[in-house]
Amino acid sequence: MESRHAISSVLVVTLIALLLAACVSTGPLPEDEAKDYKARLTTRSDGGLTIATSVLSDTESETVYGVPLAEKGIQPVWIVVENHDDIAYWLLSPGLDPNFFPASEAADAFAGDSRKNNRKLTQRFEQLAFKNPVPPGGTVSGFVLTNHDEGVKMVQLDLIASGQLKTFSTINTVPGFHADYHERSAFTQVRYTDAQIVNYTEDEAFRAALEALPCCVTNKKGTRNGDPLNLIVIGGVDDAFPALVRRGWHPTEATTAGSIKKMINSVLSGERYRYSPVSPLYLYGRPQELALQKARDSIHQRNHLRLWMSPMQYHGKPVWVGQISRDIGTRLTIHSPYLTTHKIDPDVDAALVALIEDMAYSQNLTKIGLVKGVGAASIDEPRENLTTDPYYTNGQRGVLIFDATPTAMVDIEFLHWEGDEGGMVKESARRKINQ
Amino acid sequence: MRCAAAGYVYPNGLRQTVAVMTLVVALLLLTGGCVSWQAPAAANDSALRARAVSDTVRDVTLSATVLGAADSEQLFGTNINGTGVQPIWIEVRNNSTHTLWLLRSGTDPSYYSPLEVAWPLHSKFAKKSNARIDAYYNALDFKSPVPPGGARSGILFVNPYKGTYVLNVDLLGQQSSYPFTLFLPIPGEHNVLARETFVRLADSAQNNVQNLELFRAALEQLPCCASGGDPANIVFVGDINDIAAALIRRGYRVEANESDTRQRIFERPPELVLRKRGQGGVPANWLRMWVAPLRYQDKPVILVQSGRPLGGRFAVSDSGELQLHPNVDESRNLLIQDLMYSGGLAQLGFVGGVGAVPGTPADNPDNDTRYHTDGLRAVLFFVTRPLAISDIETLDWVPFLQQREAEAAVKNANKQPGE
Repeated sequence: MESRHAISSVLVVTLIALLLAACVSTGPLPEDEAKDYKARLTTRSDGGLTIATSVLSDTESETVYGVPLAEKGIQPVWIVVENHDDIAYWLLSPGLDPNFFPASEAADAFAGDSRKNNRKLTQRFEQLAFKNPVPPGGTVSGFVLTNHDEGVKMVQLDLIASGQLKTFSTINTVPGFHADYHERSAFTQVRYTDAQIVNYTEDEAFRAALEALPCCVTNKKGTRNGDPLNLIVIGGVDDAFPALVRRGWHPTEATTAGSIKKMINSVLSGERYRYSPVSPLYLYGRPQELALQKARDSIHQRNHLRLWMSPMQYHGKPVWVGQISRDIGTRLTIHSPYLTTHKIDPDVDAALVALIEDMAYSQNLTKIGLVKGVGAASIDEPRENLTTDPYYTNGQRGVLIFDATPTAMVDIEFLHWEGDEGGMVKESARRKINQ
Repeated sequence: MRCAAAGYVYPNGLRQTVAVMTLVVALLLLTGGCVSWQAPAAANDSALRARAVSDTVRDVTLSATVLGAADSEQLFGTNINGTGVQPIWIEVRNNSTHTLWLLRSGTDPSYYSPLEVAWPLHSKFAKKSNARIDAYYNALDFKSPVPPGGARSGILFVNPYKGTYVLNVDLLGQQSSYPFTLFLPIPGEHNVLARETFVRLADSAQNNVQNLELFRAALEQLPCCASGGDPANIVFVGDINDIAAALIRRGYRVEANESDTRQRIFERPPELVLRKRGQGGVPANWLRMWVAPLRYQDKPVILVQSGRPLGGRFAVSDSGELQLHPNVDESRNLLIQDLMYSGGLAQLGFVGGVGAVPGTPADNPDNDTRYHTDGLRAVLFFVTRPLAISDIETLDWVPFLQQREAEAAVKNANKQPGE
């Protein structure tokens, strides 16, 4: 029995190796017709504040900084803040990326043996950096150095003054990857006609609608069920989005030939690959609008979530249906056309709870609820996702309601739906010790 | 024990293909011979319970114990501490009227799930045995919620500390929260610094300043720098628990090393040193903390030297002597920004006391200063009740904001965007 498994594993690896050899010759995707980063600004305004952002391509950042920032995993975001208010504002860099790079630290990445050159390099980086504060009536522009994203970047600007906060969220295309990167339009594209959209203002009717959603994602043909749809996110660019970015979630690359090669290398070497791609899963007959991940120490430790925009609204806010899982490893598989897959934590409720707990620190989570709809799967009779990973669940989906106005952790409200007040995890799917 | 092994493979052509296959076959053979985990015969938490440290916030009591290698062997049947995971036993006794839910991100933003810890113990082709391991680890895991009038105990799987484990536990209820901070001994480690911290805190009560302006003047009189030369550029004001909670929520961990002891203020090395590491455990910022000999309205005052090493997260290793990056103001200002997201920061002000040191011109590196600074000390006031980011207030002390605003306005007028 074991030897048969061993032989099949070797066959899989041989197949992968042969495919890899073919992948190596795949060239980079054609570069976007990159306009100057100062010309392709995404702009937003609120009261007296106007902001504009763009994300630099690898070539642009090398031109501006004189060193290949992308090779060290650094990506500059160009930010302009115009302040017509009568108070000064401060931009908070950890809001863009909790693991952002201070200018002097990024300069250190390129330090050599000459102290004079190192000093010049540091001064160059500091000159280019966005400098607080933004005075009343003034305009400040500069760069914040973030971790490198491919394809698309969610940019969150938190600007504070004493006792005040103004927030702006933008979605920026990163030139040099897919020109038509579909996540760019995830928050803005009109997917449903007015007649198709149902705006729920009654909690019980809304709860019933959430419970009536399909249990799980499917394959492309809709013939097989996959991971459970265990997450509902309520809010859009101004409320849900800032919460996710502040806690280190970022969009992940759609699976392409180049990304598969990078990911397999990452699996084999155990190296960290920030934008490991996710494969498409299906709901409403289409793949996810948005795939996000939060990387931890290596590729083997990351959380993934996929979101689909639903035709529902809750008090006028968009309602996203989603799936979240926690990777505890990456493995090679023949069940995915992409040959690698994330080994998920079979306790999918733990992944959901982890997200909710993380969001409690995001400042924008206002309400938490639980509804039925996933269907319970016990630890003894787990269900399988499309890549045959087993999972078990108490059958509930988490509902997270976000708001643009910051909410202190202590003011978060639990909806009296499924479970006890705050009773996120029922133990039905888990065993007691020594049982 | 871990049965996994990792190697660098560059699959590019036939030779690499053969190498990949050889490696995988070798891994299969290795993992085949690795079935070793056995459930411990008589696992229980009585020893952990006996040496637990406890604290009570209103109607809720938290007890906690850090597991050493021997505790891990006894409870898990293997020394999971050896895999870089720190298990902590906790118990929550909830006499409040709220159902409470523990927020693990607040204890350690990079915590581990029980099945993640169990995963390296798995053997290939051993489905039943693997399921047994998972069930065992799952059962030991601390499970929310804690019902009103109830108690729950279990294990949290977090990252290891050195010296003293500062445990932050945020319990969330219906529009209420119970934040705890416990200073826990780590088996086999010296807990001296934490004990000293509490002695110094007790002593500081003799000089309790009530008036805000007098307090400002006293802060400006505190030593500018450590004897090792690094500037004391931050002051924390608040209960030690609230300060620790805010820092831990943002990923700081207690971790002192040899170079910290050479920085002395009040004729002694820092009581506590916290570090925030980058992904992959690379070195990053440090906060060296001394309890100052005064209080403000009964709240302890901590003098802090904040900095980061040259090279930062890009340095190869932090095992050697750490050299302070000369731009200490950047490190100070970014710490403030980080703590604004902690929920624990209530007020912010700036005072003098460090002494301005102008930067060295780039073309004259021989006449170098160790660091450059505007000479200001940031003063951060912490509270227990978690706040929204929009609630943070700025004190009108040194006109830091106005000064920076004026500078920014001048630079703005002279600057072309992107330059």
